[in-house]
Amino acid sequence: MSAPLLEVRGLSNHFGSVCTARDLSLSFAEGELTSVIGPNGAGKSTFINLLTGHLPVQAGQVLFRGRDVTGLAVHQRVRLGMGRSFQIANVFPGLTVLENVLIPALALAGRAGRPLSRISGEREAREQAQGVLSRVGLGAEAERPASALSHGDRRLLEVAVALASRPALLFLDEPTAGMNPVERTRLLEGIRALSAGGQTTFVLVEHDMDVVFALSARVVVLHRGELLCDGPPERVRADARVREVYLGHEVEEAAP
Amino acid sequence: MSPAAGSRRGARALSWAAAAALVALPLLSGKFATYLGVRVALLAIFGTGYNLLLGRTGLLSFGHGGFYAAGAYALGLCSLHLTAHPLPGLALALAAGAAAALVVGFFCIRASEVYFSMLTLAFGMLIFAVVWNAREITGGDDGLVGVMRAPIALGPLRLDIAGERAFYLLAVALLAGSLWLAHRLRRSPFGLTLAGIRENPVRAEFAGVPVRRYRLAAFVISGAYAGLAGGLEVLLESNARPTMAHWTHSAEPILVSLLGGLHSLLGPAVGSLAFVALREVVQRFTENWMLAFGVVLLVIILGFRGGIVGAVEAGLRARRAGRAAP
Repeated sequence: MSAPLLEVRGLSNHFGSVCTARDLSLSFAEGELTSVIGPNGAGKSTFINLLTGHLPVQAGQVLFRGRDVTGLAVHQRVRLGMGRSFQIANVFPGLTVLENVLIPALALAGRAGRPLSRISGEREAREQAQGVLSRVGLGAEAERPASALSHGDRRLLEVAVALASRPALLFLDEPTAGMNPVERTRLLEGIRALSAGGQTTFVLVEHDMDVVFALSARVVVLHRGELLCDGPPERVRADARVREVYLGHEVEEAAP
Repeated sequence: MSPAAGSRRGARALSWAAAAALVALPLLSGKFATYLGVRVALLAIFGTGYNLLLGRTGLLSFGHGGFYAAGAYALGLCSLHLTAHPLPGLALALAAGAAAALVVGFFCIRASEVYFSMLTLAFGMLIFAVVWNAREITGGDDGLVGVMRAPIALGPLRLDIAGERAFYLLAVALLAGSLWLAHRLRRSPFGLTLAGIRENPVRAEFAGVPVRRYRLAAFVISGAYAGLAGGLEVLLESNARPTMAHWTHSAEPILVSLLGGLHSLLGPAVGSLAFVALREVVQRFTENWMLAFGVVLLVIILGFRGGIVGAVEAGLRARRAGRAAP
């Protein structure tokens, strides 16, 4: 076996006295759609932020395809093939939908720094950008400003922006949050198809259990910065500790 | 499609007419108006470069007076000690503005938002203090005086720029070049990436863009524009003064960009025209012309976010829509 796509060794992080990651070690295999779940405050977003370089790693190591990327800047990891989306729709609001996707496409092609050529002449990047937009179903919206899109479409656009960097590994942070059921189904179908396409390995960070169990081949449960459970969905669903922590928490949350 | 093409043709005709009027101005008007025309052109070069940073990249700098002064003193020192030929002087002015911006930007670009702005303010004041105190080199508070406007000699060709009219044409030509370069930058992949950084720096980073490096590049380019404008002012006034580096002078490109329109190519140039004209008119009636300017700025910021250019464009759009509707 070759090295896993992403390997995490002994990852720890503290915000003051609050521990958000405690000696986490796990790896993600190529092509395996994995979900990271856990109750609020479990350290899911911190985990993603640490892996993608959004937060500096205090202790531990992150290896991408066997290469130590712990000290690399965000944009360098993106160039290597690690992408992400954000919990809150995070696009370039003042630009058109196509321009949103062109920025990562140009950066990937190493052409973003060209000061005197015309955007309209960047045929290859434009074709790639259009292709990504059609894949997520936004092909017809290319010329609209991103700020004019509906919430659901804006989340789709964010996935498109992330995909335009051609990531080998893509973290989606609560991709369906705030979506209506129709949009949600569309997005999940899209993710399933793209994952089956094999170019990108998806890691979902989710709060919604239905999404997780329907889609994932593997589920990782975090609780207070610690790894609670890791395995196929059926096993995780049956795990007593998970039920206690996760469902117990849900019950608490639901109580007035 | 055809109305768009028509309006594009109209816009092109309009810009040719404007260019012709700009060139003809010194032939039709007096010396003072020509002098004011040069002041507008210099401020417009300063503002056009500055707005690549503010309007395009989304960075607010309070230190560009320092880069303006770097250009001014570079040209002054070159003229007094090396050669009075304006071309090497202007090239040095441009390079000095860019170099000063590179050094200052290297430190400031690490900070974000308010801290970035405050750092640029601090560096601008630092440059002012250095210029003020290094009397042996800069002449201290007297500045550098007696810089002459030598003719531009290119082989057998000699362009005499000592007269106001000739110098005005030189300034307008350099403004045209500055606008052309800004136009090319704005529609290039580089310009789009800068706009992405303005819209969302975190997302840009996650789109694979080394944000700091791009911000520094924009900072250096705007510094080069400032240096060029500073060098030209020394040729115009025949002296370089430390107040060029003062933070009140750093505010001028911000004001003209806001006045003319942050999000348009011509905004700062139009703003410069309005700024200089307003100052000249109001100063005939009262000493506190800033009071009048403050009111105008308030109206612009509260009512016309797109500045003068934005308001005109919106007006034209509304008229076209009105004509198309019935």
